[in-house]
Amino acid sequence: MTLLIQDKYPEKLFREDGKRLDGRDKDDLRNIKMEVGVIKNADGSAYIEWGNNKIFASVYGPREVHPHHLAKPDKGILRVFYRMTTYSVFDRKRPAPGRREKEISMIIADCLEPVLFLELYPGTSFEIFIEVVDADGGTRCASTTVAALALADAGVPMRSLVTSCAVGKIDGQLVTDLSGIEDKAGEADLPVAMTWFNDELSLLQFDGKVNKDEFNEFLEMAEEALGQVYQIQLDALKRKYQQIRDNVQEEGGDPEE
Amino acid sequence: MMDIKRVISTIEKEYIKNNLEKGNRIDGRDLWEYREFDIKTDTIAAAEGSADVSLGDTRILTGVKYDIGEPYPDTPDDGVCTIMAELLPLASPLFEGGPPDQQSIELARVVDRGIRHADCVQTKKLCIKEEKAVYIIFVDMYVINHGGNMIDCGGISALSSLISSHIPKGKWTEDGPEWTGEYFSGDEIINELPIPVTFGKIEDNLFLDPCLPEQLVSEGRITISVTKDNITSIQKSGTTTFTTEQVRMLSNKAFEIADDLREKLDLWQYKSKQE
Repeated sequence: MTLLIQDKYPEKLFREDGKRLDGRDKDDLRNIKMEVGVIKNADGSAYIEWGNNKIFASVYGPREVHPHHLAKPDKGILRVFYRMTTYSVFDRKRPAPGRREKEISMIIADCLEPVLFLELYPGTSFEIFIEVVDADGGTRCASTTVAALALADAGVPMRSLVTSCAVGKIDGQLVTDLSGIEDKAGEADLPVAMTWFNDELSLLQFDGKVNKDEFNEFLEMAEEALGQVYQIQLDALKRKYQQIRDNVQEEGGDPEE
Repeated sequence: MMDIKRVISTIEKEYIKNNLEKGNRIDGRDLWEYREFDIKTDTIAAAEGSADVSLGDTRILTGVKYDIGEPYPDTPDDGVCTIMAELLPLASPLFEGGPPDQQSIELARVVDRGIRHADCVQTKKLCIKEEKAVYIIFVDMYVINHGGNMIDCGGISALSSLISSHIPKGKWTEDGPEWTGEYFSGDEIINELPIPVTFGKIEDNLFLDPCLPEQLVSEGRITISVTKDNITSIQKSGTTTFTTEQVRMLSNKAFEIADDLREKLDLWQYKSKQE
């Protein structure tokens, strides 16, 4: 690509006043907004805005498996397709899915599968389609979070929700939820996800260099951040039912009936 | 509203058809009425232009990106504008993943042809240096929900994203293309607004803007892209046939409908602000 403006990385990732470039403190998350039921055709769907990330997820299933040979006689299968639009990144992405998208799809599928009861759905498939339409660091975490929400919206039986967030190291300091610039110019990145039915980590990747103490602190920071994101996730899900309740009341019905 | 299936039952088809014969639509519209358009622009931070357009339940997110490349040898001072469409499997159980299929290619090409043959994209302004450097503008449409008539939604989406675009202006130097520090505004690279107008046909009933159940039971459709004074492309699609009288009538209607829509949507309001 020949572009007239280059994607520059700043030398410093902290401002004079000790805040990060976008004004956050070290352990602040970016603004997160979630909404369920945004895609009418899907069995379940959700949308997330996480900082500048904007991501749609839709769920179809249980349904017939295509191609048929992938079906398993003793359980259902979960397939995840994480994709990015060509315009979601600074340099236009090629339209065909690349290696990165395929790997992340697999990581997310593996992360979500523990909360599902696939053994109840032999011979069928659940498919989750994730479309990142605007990307700014941490898309795999936001995608995992929104995918779990779409599953819940689809009414798929789940042991619990799954929530994901990253912690990282920039300019030698440990911070929560790296933005795009921080991810590219920083020193370390640790995306994690938690399955809440057993409080265990279901997604765990790490890139960079940290010592033992820092790694321990990372895990503590991650747990704190995951709890906050989980709350936003729950609120989005409850809001849908609250809305239905309000609509019934407006029409003069009794929601308890 | 009806479920989405590959095959529509005879009884549903009869219901839609009988209503049309009486001049009624299953969603309560008039025969020549569009569903509501909802347009938001500049929604994608990473893109040089973007539009999130809904037409009823159909929703298309379009983004504009650019690259600087060499011009085609036969048009040494013309920039290039390419239009792509993806029917995301996220958007409908009718869509499958994988490389672009006939449906998505048709969508991209019909929108593209409507724009290409109008005085729409100002390709001469998208030249930095003859024979050396021109802009390649990518307009990429992603269908987020399929509720029928993707072409008209896509056409408005492509125009809105271009109008809202803020592509950096380049100048030629010894070292190659360089940024002038300014941006193109939408009305510098776009002039005319060609509007694709799609009519469905179920037996002898003709109507504007098929919604999904109508599209699924119709034998075909015709898209007529028009500017203020000219027809810029026509696509007849599906297994149906049209009489010349029908085509004449629909092309006249297309001008009327497009004029109304241009006025109603007032797409120039989405013009990028100069920073």
